[in-house]
Amino acid sequence: MERLKPRWVVLVLIWTLHTFLWAPGGSAQESRADSIGRQQDEKSKRLQPEVPDRVEQYITKVTKGGWIFSPNPNHLYPYFDSVYPGGGFTLGAGYREYYGDYAFAEARGLYSFQNYKKFELRTASPNHAGGHVDFEALAGWMDATEIPYYGLGIDSPKDGKSNFRLQETYVQAGATVRPVSWLYLRAGSGYDRFIQEAGTGGSPSIGDLYGPDTAPGLGVNPSYVHSVASAGIVWAPAEGYARRGGVYRYSIHDYRNVTGNLDSFQLTRGELVQHIPILRETWVLSLRGRMESVYGQNAEVPYFLLPWLGSGSTLRGYGTGRFRDRHSLLMTGEWRWIPNRFALDMALFCDAGTVAPRFKDLHFGDLKYDYGVGIRLHGPAVTALRFDVAHGSEGWHLVISASAPF
Amino acid sequence: MKSETHIEYGRLTRTAATGLLLLASLANPVGAQQRKFYDDDPIAREPSTRDASGAIHRDIDLMYDLGRNLFALQRDPKLVRAQNVNSVDEVPDSEWFTNRILARPVGIDEAVRGPDTGPGPAPGKLIVVHAKQSGVTPGFTVKDSAGQVWFVQFDAPGQPEAASGAAVVATKLFHAIGYFQSENHISYLDPSKLEVDKQAEVDTPSGRVRPMKMDDIRKVLDRAHKRPDGTCRMLASLAIPGRIIGGFKYYGTRKDDPNDIVPHEHRRELRALKVFGAWTNLVDMKALNTLDTVITENGRGVIRHYLQDVGSTFGTGALAPREWDEGYEYIVEGDKALKRLVTIDFYIQPWQTIPYKEYKSIGRFEGDYFKPEEWKSRIPAAAVLNARADDNFWAARRVMAFSDEMIRAIVKAGQYSDPAAGRHLADVLIKRRDKIGKSYLPAVNPLVDFRLDASGVLTFENAAVSAGFATAPRGGYEARWYRFDNSSGNATPIGSPVVSPALTIQAPAGLPAGDGEFIKVEVAAVGPPNSSWTTPVQVYFRRLPAGWKLVGLERMSD
Repeated sequence: MERLKPRWVVLVLIWTLHTFLWAPGGSAQESRADSIGRQQDEKSKRLQPEVPDRVEQYITKVTKGGWIFSPNPNHLYPYFDSVYPGGGFTLGAGYREYYGDYAFAEARGLYSFQNYKKFELRTASPNHAGGHVDFEALAGWMDATEIPYYGLGIDSPKDGKSNFRLQETYVQAGATVRPVSWLYLRAGSGYDRFIQEAGTGGSPSIGDLYGPDTAPGLGVNPSYVHSVASAGIVWAPAEGYARRGGVYRYSIHDYRNVTGNLDSFQLTRGELVQHIPILRETWVLSLRGRMESVYGQNAEVPYFLLPWLGSGSTLRGYGTGRFRDRHSLLMTGEWRWIPNRFALDMALFCDAGTVAPRFKDLHFGDLKYDYGVGIRLHGPAVTALRFDVAHGSEGWHLVISASAPF
Repeated sequence: MKSETHIEYGRLTRTAATGLLLLASLANPVGAQQRKFYDDDPIAREPSTRDASGAIHRDIDLMYDLGRNLFALQRDPKLVRAQNVNSVDEVPDSEWFTNRILARPVGIDEAVRGPDTGPGPAPGKLIVVHAKQSGVTPGFTVKDSAGQVWFVQFDAPGQPEAASGAAVVATKLFHAIGYFQSENHISYLDPSKLEVDKQAEVDTPSGRVRPMKMDDIRKVLDRAHKRPDGTCRMLASLAIPGRIIGGFKYYGTRKDDPNDIVPHEHRRELRALKVFGAWTNLVDMKALNTLDTVITENGRGVIRHYLQDVGSTFGTGALAPREWDEGYEYIVEGDKALKRLVTIDFYIQPWQTIPYKEYKSIGRFEGDYFKPEEWKSRIPAAAVLNARADDNFWAARRVMAFSDEMIRAIVKAGQYSDPAAGRHLADVLIKRRDKIGKSYLPAVNPLVDFRLDASGVLTFENAAVSAGFATAPRGGYEARWYRFDNSSGNATPIGSPVVSPALTIQAPAGLPAGDGEFIKVEVAAVGPPNSSWTTPVQVYFRRLPAGWKLVGLERMSD
């Protein structure tokens, strides 16, 4: 039998394969729908679960996991705040546990690069009476190690700078009522105990330059029953950041002396803030007036509880606590422009303020001025970071803060 | 023998290689793939052939979606043609889109009815069954006296009729265009007729879920606008059928949907939101405002895609009037931010000065300054970034298909109590419609509706001229005719180019007459008002027993 040529074997095999494999496929390619179906079939063989990638998972964890952006953190969370004016950047954390649907208890602490410290235990029970009443109680301890003190009065010399250390232990409880969304009434009472120590800063300690006559209450560690009542009208979109509306606040503090043989006294603070949008919020003219006064002309008020101006959100061209006395007046104007309405504000500003031992001695002629420029990174309702560079009669001053100036 | 055997195997190997190449050439579907047109072209429906019932629910993170669209996604530099259009450059029906206006006659009644299948919540008591899950507007889920479940949300205080009116009007517009929309009704709630279902629960900040109380309802209603009679106007939305699995992104495809094979940025109906969005000021274009749902069709699970929340339209947001720059700028534009920073904001943009006629129920919505090409959503949706002139043309024709009467009738469904407000909204929509037509219809060669009769007479329309947005080309139209080989793609000229002053051109002698033969015609304008009209529209016809059938149209190259 003649052997079959391999070439023919292969060709027959190929033709058979082709007939078997390709003809049905060829007919399957006759339509556009089949072509699309084939692509869908291909994809169906490599389906994967539709799950977030790592970046999205991380973002979700940060934004919804009770961390940075959550108004209601749960368990461990980062805590951003100031220990005490002039204390510098802080690192902080808190731990919150809910014991009701809305009520919680938390512990939180802050530590600043200048060794300022604060620790608080806090409980809050919000959302009573249809969301109109909140209750809160707080106990804490604060240690500010190098608070500047320049003496009293608007004419206190710059080279009179000293510093002191203040530790405060406090317990407070209070309630806030919001009869309507734009009005709040707040009342609370508590116990404050202060301990003064020598400052740890580079300038002389307060005791080296001042005595009880120039620094009232120096060397005394008083305690007070501290009660406060306040009211506010908020018709700005948010207190932490706004381009329109106003905020009007008034509070009265009553300090009943318990230990330390100092007098009891009252301190009032009134503040008016108005944001005036110009050309559809292209610019915003923000104005603020603030007055603080001690009631009781003869009451001895410790120097560290007196009204003060300087740095922070007051006279930004001057050092922290640069001017202290029984009465203070502060006026601020900012011309803000908005490079990006979601994130970035700029401001040209001017501050003017004075302090005086008597209310009637608050004269415009004694005003200290400064001016400057600021950059603010913000969200819709909060100012996250603020850099203000201000120039006053004593030179330039940089303010870095995690809150709006007013 | 061995050696012979070896030789035989060597031959066998060579022969097998040759044969396999032959097999490959026979079996390789390249020939078929190179075929330009299939027998079923142009398809009217994009098939969903595979089962997608295994798709799982997935929430798209808002910040991630915003960030990716703002900073990571760019327009495809190749500016490719939309990939889901059929061979005649139209969007086939699909689980994304259903051709309605322009594709077929849509009456005013049908447009006003929109997706509605009934009159809205049944009168009587409403039982709250669930708290609202997302969004900033106050609302909850209720069951009406007929047992139907509705998602209700209320107008914000000081913004009466704004959110509800916008949602209803926009829903009907987008439904008439062709998008899947939920059924939305305006209804009025008497708070005294609300009850709380025993099973209703609310999430609390503690993370605990507890039974809902009337106190929770009152808190929601505190954030709602009250009418003088104590009732609240509400938007009642019917639950979307199927199993909700989250939203869709304006880019990429779902990994768990076998039928989702066209990247979303290359879907024409999503690209076209550049035009539809500009018309209605749909600024809040994000994944969170969309919904995917698994439904059963022909025994298979398929995913249907909804433009779920089109209420952020016209001049109002959910809680307040639009921000001044919305519709004009993305929320982040580095170059503009820098210019504002260094000029102390004396870098003035149009939105800062153009006049608005403001109504609380409409917000800031105008048509006099409006420039369609410059309109922007809050974030640059990837699909919109990839829109080409032919996508915009496709969309603009649909916008232009809304008559004045239809727009006014749809706006009336928004039930604005101030007739002037309703008139204003309709007027602005009409003005913006015309500006869209004027911008996008003449921007490409606007020839449409090609027909070739058995006698070889080609007729067509000029969409821009018909709409009155351009003058007819001075020299008429030139047609070049070709015999077209569907397998190879080769085109062989037939006769000489034919120029006609009218929208009718007689084919030269020699058109193929055989069944299944193809011809290609290139039609360009001569002496047009717009240079883009000299780029010919390429149309393809296939000879069928009944005559010539339009099987292909290319307005722009790939």
